[in-house]
Amino acid sequence: MQKRYPKRVILPFALTLMFLVSLSARAELYVTIVQGLGGEPAFEENFHAQSQALVEASSSLTDADNVTLFNGEDATRNNLLAHFESQSTLMNDDDRSAIYLIGHGSFDGDEYKFNIPGLDITTADILNIMQAFPGQNHFLLNTSSTSGALLEPLGDESRILVTATRSGNEKNATFFGEYFVDALSSEDADLNKNNNISIEEAFSYAQRQVEEYFESQGQLATEHAEIIGNGAAQFTLARINPVVISDENPRLAELQEQVLDIDRQIESLQLQRSELSNKEYIEQLQALILQSARINEEIDQLNGENLAE
Amino acid sequence: MKAALHKSIFRLAQLGAYSAILFAFPSHAREHLFGALDNDTLLNCENLYWSGQSLDASACYMEIIRMVNPPEIQAEAMWALGDLYTADDLLEQAAQLNPENAMILVRTGELYMRTYQYQDAYNFFSQALALEPDNAWAHIGAAEALSTGNNGEEINAHIASVQTHFASPPGARLRAMLMSINSVMEQDLYDETREQLDQAWAFVEDQGLPAMHLNALEAALAFVTRRTDEVQNYIDEALNEAPVFGDAYAIPGYFASITRRYAESGEFYQKAVEIEPTNWTAHLELGQNYLRLNKIDDGIRHVEISYEGDGFNPKTLNMMRLLDTFSANFVDLTFPDPPEENGIPELVLRLDRKEVDVITPYAKELAEASMATFAERYNFPAKEPVIVEIFPNHEDFVVRSIGMPGVGILGVTFGYLFAMDSPTGHPDETYHWGTTLWHEMAHVYTVEASEHGVPRWYSEGISVYEEWNTGPIPGIKIPAYVLKFMAEGAFLPVAELDNGFMRPTYDEQVIVSYMQAGLIFQFISEEYGHDKIVDMLYQFVEGTDEVTAIETALGISDNEFDRHFKQYIDIEFGPLLSNLQIWQQDLQTTMQAFASDNWEEAIAAAERAIFTYPDYVEPDSPYIAKALAHSQLEQDDLKFETLETFWQLGGYSARALKELADEYIARGQPEEAVNVFRDIHYVDPFDEETHGKLGDILIELEQPHAALQEYLVGLALDPLDQATANYRVAAAYQAIDDSAQAMEYLMMALDIAPQYRPAQQLLLELSRTEMDTQH
Repeated sequence: MQKRYPKRVILPFALTLMFLVSLSARAELYVTIVQGLGGEPAFEENFHAQSQALVEASSSLTDADNVTLFNGEDATRNNLLAHFESQSTLMNDDDRSAIYLIGHGSFDGDEYKFNIPGLDITTADILNIMQAFPGQNHFLLNTSSTSGALLEPLGDESRILVTATRSGNEKNATFFGEYFVDALSSEDADLNKNNNISIEEAFSYAQRQVEEYFESQGQLATEHAEIIGNGAAQFTLARINPVVISDENPRLAELQEQVLDIDRQIESLQLQRSELSNKEYIEQLQALILQSARINEEIDQLNGENLAE
Repeated sequence: MKAALHKSIFRLAQLGAYSAILFAFPSHAREHLFGALDNDTLLNCENLYWSGQSLDASACYMEIIRMVNPPEIQAEAMWALGDLYTADDLLEQAAQLNPENAMILVRTGELYMRTYQYQDAYNFFSQALALEPDNAWAHIGAAEALSTGNNGEEINAHIASVQTHFASPPGARLRAMLMSINSVMEQDLYDETREQLDQAWAFVEDQGLPAMHLNALEAALAFVTRRTDEVQNYIDEALNEAPVFGDAYAIPGYFASITRRYAESGEFYQKAVEIEPTNWTAHLELGQNYLRLNKIDDGIRHVEISYEGDGFNPKTLNMMRLLDTFSANFVDLTFPDPPEENGIPELVLRLDRKEVDVITPYAKELAEASMATFAERYNFPAKEPVIVEIFPNHEDFVVRSIGMPGVGILGVTFGYLFAMDSPTGHPDETYHWGTTLWHEMAHVYTVEASEHGVPRWYSEGISVYEEWNTGPIPGIKIPAYVLKFMAEGAFLPVAELDNGFMRPTYDEQVIVSYMQAGLIFQFISEEYGHDKIVDMLYQFVEGTDEVTAIETALGISDNEFDRHFKQYIDIEFGPLLSNLQIWQQDLQTTMQAFASDNWEEAIAAAERAIFTYPDYVEPDSPYIAKALAHSQLEQDDLKFETLETFWQLGGYSARALKELADEYIARGQPEEAVNVFRDIHYVDPFDEETHGKLGDILIELEQPHAALQEYLVGLALDPLDQATANYRVAAAYQAIDDSAQAMEYLMMALDIAPQYRPAQQLLLELSRTEMDTQH
């Protein structure tokens, strides 16, 4: 009779595992989604769908307790400030925060505001929130029109900012947010095929979709998304197609460890690329990937056997 | 407010100081005065200039400037020496000193005409007429200023004032005659041109006026009516009178150009600039002609000379901008590569660097197929390489074609060279660039086979007829609005059909004429056979007119031909045209029902419209609405059948065809999917997904070379997913046993996505193959 083993989800590929391993020891990812005022039913519906999709995508990566959604009457300035104050006290230097502002914004030439019930959140509020987080590499996505007005006041190497517009002068309602959210569950956005969607991948995907949208309509683009800050390629926002395997097969675990190790070597090699000739680089990369491919073949074989049992 | 001369500063820095140019030539070409001024000193200088004593003329003009002379006379001297700004300033001074002198205003207007500021020029002529309502020089100036726009009635009124007023000076009357002769000859009204020339000759001889312009026009008339042995005599007569009169050649050059005889036109202009190096317009036209004849370096040189001498000309400025783009962005690809036997390629594709990897395979395939088709159908193998230029920027294409932007054309053929819009210039779905290429290529053969003698309508008609019968999407395609004109009997007699292209009397007439011309050849082909079309084409080599050609080849008069053609239209289109309103109503009902989500009604109305006119597959075709409505009702089979019929009839909406291709794939009909995808390329070659899907099917169908082409195009489109794009190329190379290329692309994919499992699998395969080979 088939023995039932307790199961867990592990990531199939190395970089994500590496990231999780480093996080799982002590680092947490805190996700806050703020659904702003829609103004019209169509926007309300759209922002709601995006927010729900973000909750789902974030939950693929971090504990559900770490994912907070503010919408409707709860999305007030006071509630948000209190939430972030509390969150920053919980966080340590290794923790990261991801904030999604989904909605409309306004810019009067001087100050940007994100529109929520009651008092809006201002540029100064957002700056204070982000500055209060310990550590670095925190992430803010603002999908509103005029959100590019935040780039200058918030721009800092310690954080990653993505805005739907390049300045406060792009005032039309944007499409970028919808595509960015789509990216978090899309295989098409997984450009390095590691089953994780990074900020960089989601940004590239959404940016391309926006361009194609305006081209297909024969219109000049009214929005140009921007990304600033370091580490967008390494900051994972969502996980797609996780593979479920037994964690009680010691040979599998060993092989996974080997794949992880090779991937670390590949990452290290890629960082040293400029120090090598192209021929040397390709030869070394090829050797490492060949090793990885052989191990993956064995992993597939073992997984096939597990499934057959 | 005083107007000011506007000279572009475009590239002025490259050209050095303006004054250095100014004195490069002692005196500059300008229009003859025809007696408009009577200052003896000035007229002495003018006579020296026109009698060919340029250096003496320069000295004479300089003397006027040095001596005490009225500012309006000094202005004329500065103008003759090429300093137009100072001339403008001096005329302004003169006008302030003599506010009641209409001739100063007339000459200011003429100066502004010289700098292409036609509205300002017109304003000066109007001011002169306000002072002297019968001033003939002001009237003729105003008429010329207005002739740059569409003001026929006003122009005629001004010319009539010159001709009817008893006090009009003879020189002004002659200018009015010359304007009129030019105009009728531009309209190909050669008998009327002859009559007017005869009247002008009598007048010139009677009044003792200069005859050089008339001789130049005689040369032009002799050229366009193919009395070639008389041309040079007239030119020589003009040059005997005025040895520096470059227009003696430039005027016939102009008429050669507008009758599409570019090689001869270039020869005329070349001689014009040889005898009058300061004829900047002739340099520009010569440059354009060289460009049309694919003599790019010579073309650039003369356009630059023109700009150096005359930076006011907007046409020159546009050409300079285009040439910058041309030099920087375009590349030539020659085929066969390498050339066979004689070392001369048969086809040159001149494409923008950004598009070359995408457009080349499809343009080459289509161009070669069309060349083979037309060589056989018109019994004319190309004697020179055919050059195909494809412009991503529509305005660049238009400037390259006619010198000025803002015209809605898609392609222009000059002979062995044609230029056309890339699909990039038309992001909507209404532009089938494959058909445009086919159409223009047909022109190459009809124009060259007839040695540039084919009438416009004849060449256009054959191109449309070939689109319908041999083009990439065969089938007679007539826009809905043309049907309306057909129902109203708007077609012209065949002897007048050129007017529909050259002198349309309503907005839609050019397109109506295209369709009529195409249908004429459809009719001839069906009733008399295609060979008769070819027979007639070759008659144009000798300058035969279309009426004679029809009589000779078909044995009927043009009137009989018109009657037979009408019967043909009645038979072929009568039922449709008599039900046109019902069809239009059904089409409208389809769209309205579709817009209000009434799918059943949309389908019913679409079916009625299709029943009345089953061949209508333009972008607003009822097939598309019907297919979409079936889709909404989840009637997948009906949707598929509708799309399939649409495609088989020549429908080309890329979105509809993509749906159909996916349906074919889903239904296990890969060969049909391949054909649909290939048709999509001729509307929308820039869709990376289409190339990827087509490549995948071709791999399945074991056509790896074709798949590789699609994958390479997909990669050239810079897709977001570079790993997959590179992997696909690697897999195709692997399929054609090119392991080295396969490995190169594979490692690019794996460098981006080291854990990309299909790529890892291919790496294992390649490495095992290599090991097997070594063992």
